Amino acid sequence: MSDKLKDIINKQAQQQNGGLDQSDNIVQLVGFIIGEEEYAVPILSIQEIIKPISWTRVPQTPAYVLGVFNLRGSVIPLIDLRVKFGLRAKNHNEETRFFVLKQDDEVAGFVIDRLTAAIRIKKADIGPPPDTIASEDSMIGGVGKQEGKILTILKVNKLLARDF
Amino acid sequence: MDEFQEILQDFLVESFELVEKLDEDLVELENTPEDLELLNGIFRVAHTVKGASSFLNFDVLTHLTHHMEDVLNKARHGELIITPDIMDVVLESIDLMKALLNIIRDTSTDAGVDVSACVARLDKVSGGNGEVETVASAPVEEVVSEVEVAEEPEEEPDYDNMGNDEIEAEIERLLNERQDQDKARRAAKIAAGESVPEAPPSPIEDSTPTAPTPAPTQIPEVPSPPAPAPVAITPKRAEPKAAAPAKRAPAKRAPAQVEQTIRVDVKRLDHLMNLIGELVLAKNRLIKINDDVEERYEGEEFLEELNQVVSIVSLVTTDLQIAVMKTRMLPIGKVFNKFPRMIRDLTRELNKKIELEISGEETELDKSIVEEIGDPLVHIIRNSCDHGVEMPDVRLAAGKNETGTIVLKAYNEGNAIVIQIDDDGKGLNINMLKNKSVEKGIITEQEADSMSEKEAFALIFKPGFSTAASVTNVSGRGVGMDVVKTNIEKLNGIIDIDSELGKGTSIKLKIPLTLAIIQALLVGVQEEYYAIPLASVLETVRITQEEIYTVESRSVMRLREEVLSLVHIGDIFEVDRILDVSEHAYVVVLGLGAQKLGLIVDSLVGQEEIVIKSLGDYLKGIEGVAGATIRGDGGVTLIVDVVALMSMAKGVKATVSAANSAEEITYEKTKASDYKVMIIDDSKTDRTIMRKALEPMGINLVEASDGQEALNTLKSGEHSFDAMLVDIEMPRMDGYSLATEIKKYNKYKNLPLIAVTSRTGKSDRMRGVESGMIEYITKPYSADYLASVVQRNINFKSEFL
Repeated sequence: MSDKLKDIINKQAQQQNGGLDQSDNIVQLVGFIIGEEEYAVPILSIQEIIKPISWTRVPQTPAYVLGVFNLRGSVIPLIDLRVKFGLRAKNHNEETRFFVLKQDDEVAGFVIDRLTAAIRIKKADIGPPPDTIASEDSMIGGVGKQEGKILTILKVNKLLARDF
Repeated sequence: MDEFQEILQDFLVESFELVEKLDEDLVELENTPEDLELLNGIFRVAHTVKGASSFLNFDVLTHLTHHMEDVLNKARHGELIITPDIMDVVLESIDLMKALLNIIRDTSTDAGVDVSACVARLDKVSGGNGEVETVASAPVEEVVSEVEVAEEPEEEPDYDNMGNDEIEAEIERLLNERQDQDKARRAAKIAAGESVPEAPPSPIEDSTPTAPTPAPTQIPEVPSPPAPAPVAITPKRAEPKAAAPAKRAPAKRAPAQVEQTIRVDVKRLDHLMNLIGELVLAKNRLIKINDDVEERYEGEEFLEELNQVVSIVSLVTTDLQIAVMKTRMLPIGKVFNKFPRMIRDLTRELNKKIELEISGEETELDKSIVEEIGDPLVHIIRNSCDHGVEMPDVRLAAGKNETGTIVLKAYNEGNAIVIQIDDDGKGLNINMLKNKSVEKGIITEQEADSMSEKEAFALIFKPGFSTAASVTNVSGRGVGMDVVKTNIEKLNGIIDIDSELGKGTSIKLKIPLTLAIIQALLVGVQEEYYAIPLASVLETVRITQEEIYTVESRSVMRLREEVLSLVHIGDIFEVDRILDVSEHAYVVVLGLGAQKLGLIVDSLVGQEEIVIKSLGDYLKGIEGVAGATIRGDGGVTLIVDVVALMSMAKGVKATVSAANSAEEITYEKTKASDYKVMIIDDSKTDRTIMRKALEPMGINLVEASDGQEALNTLKSGEHSFDAMLVDIEMPRMDGYSLATEIKKYNKYKNLPLIAVTSRTGKSDRMRGVESGMIEYITKPYSADYLASVVQRNINFKSEFL
């Protein structure tokens, strides 16, 4: 009896490990568009995605910091990724979304032009960023290749880090 | 092990509480060495700590407290007079005890502190002449008031000659005794007709079988515990003979001894406070919605009911908030307690004679503030001792009492608490302060000359300022008062100094009762709102642009007899001046200690209770912004940091009358499609009719279905319009309101607004003109007429036709 039980447990453990191996090789991302480019962040770093709501300007901040907004009682900074990436600010439209990213205790909202899709991509398909921009300070964590498209994967901790 | 931890926790909490009180008592004892009550109290502390620590196997602590106990015991029996020298040793031992307790708290052991030197000194004080027979002192005990004795453990047997077992037995005995006394007290209370919260002790309940001493038996026969305890109880038992009112006396005092308290984790209180904060925000929102509903459904019956509910909710919320705030309140005495000891040490160190008078120690403050206020007070008091109070001979020469007095008092003033530190020392010498500051380069000579008295006093809070000619151990490092100011301001507090040369100095700290929820004045500038903590607002005044003068490129105004420097909030917070500046502006007069500043705002919105929220790590440390709050409408409003604002204002030059000449870039119209006209109507049919009438001209047309949409499109700046055709009756925002809104903007001053409506009344036309419409077309109209009106208003060049 106990042997049988052990067998079963062992098998289950093996299966589980196998399952883990599989999911280890897949990265789940959410893709979005800013300007012309498609970018992505890990799905687990996204707290939520909301439609644009009103915000309050905060003085003495760089242009890409739009201000703060109220997310169910919390005051959260709002950053315009277009401006941050050197593009011209654009009026919000039907497709504009606020991406609320969270890592540890840091939370911030990011304005993006348009959502694309949830993406499952094999780790093997993610390459390092080009040498010219690969550095610790770079916001780019890697480049994903998918069906002829190129996907820039952003580092969430860099996005959430204050750089002014 | 867990059980041990639990006991340890209790032990630490109790010990720290006892020790805190001890300092104060000891200093008082030095003044009245004969005070038996005090001595007994102090002795009890040493004894309690010793008892518990031996139980927990903290040998070093036990060793130390044991010797303290010896000395105190002697003093208690009148065999030893407490001289300052003896006191020094005792105080030193108490410091050691504190250090040990700290170590225990951190490491759970009491190793690492050498107490032998102190113990040796204690031993010397108590003398080698054998332990005194304890019983002999019994008569002394009897003199002490009944209530006191009731708590009194009886004479200490000689622990030195006891083995571990014996000590444990002794502890056991003491515990029993305590229980018995409790019971006796309860019994006394019952006798006095008081209800006792706990179940009245039943005879069977009495169970301390392990006790080596014969356990006391039944309650009615209370006087069973050994030794002097009966002395304590006898008077109470005699009480029933007396008349009813007489019985009250002991009964009334009793509750104070059995305080009904629960220890609560501070985290839970913090959480509760956060929840209340949310509730306050929700309440504000509810009130706002109620107002809106009231406006819209005027006269409806359900309104009254809604009103009632809203007012009850807001009332209860306010009460709840106060109640929760109160649970977090601690008496400031907790901080004040350490000062008698500090003053005593200082007087000996500085060879001065100083007396400390404390009052209002029962005044309560939020826990977080009580924790923060200690250090600043230490600095101020040290400063008063060192720089304020003169040497005894100097004082005598000045015709003052040889002993200087420092008065420390706390009291409530409105929504704040004031802590006042007065000394009768030499006072602040304004000229000296100024010279010193100029010398050290803190201010320029010019600044010094134009300085008011109050401003000069405030110099002592400048970084790098120190008035002591010589740097002593006590003060003079030139950082103290600067830190005081920063710390007090961190608590949203205000410092005020008053001083008279030769008479003394008075420093007032005004601190809000709580940190999380504050009263604020909401002000508007252009389209933005800001909240200013009401504690810093002195007054508000309405002024016209002509009342603002410019002196040395700074804006100033005359406020009664004073000249008030002004700064526009828009200059500080980089607000774009897109709205028309009206004739009138409001000045919010901010006061921060001696400093005053007038802040020009466009409008005053009102006073509101706000909950301070942090901007988070990403946006922290933005100059001039203390935090944010969520308003009734769900929007976020920034809270002004008045301290930072004051210093920022210095760098801002006058721009109040800055030209609002928004450079209008007008492009030359080269073709018909360069013209752009917006059609605003909620009816699709009407919009189409207008479109049909105007399309032949070849101009660009943009449609909007109501006023709000039109305003948003206009503000987005995507199009630049040459004219707008506005319907009057529209949902969300009607034509009049739209026109009024648009005309608030400078750059739309000359934008032609043409009303297209079926309203034909004279008053309607009047309203149209008032709100800024320049043409009034009544439906129905001919296509040609509409086209010609539009052409006229947009200066349509005929060659495009």
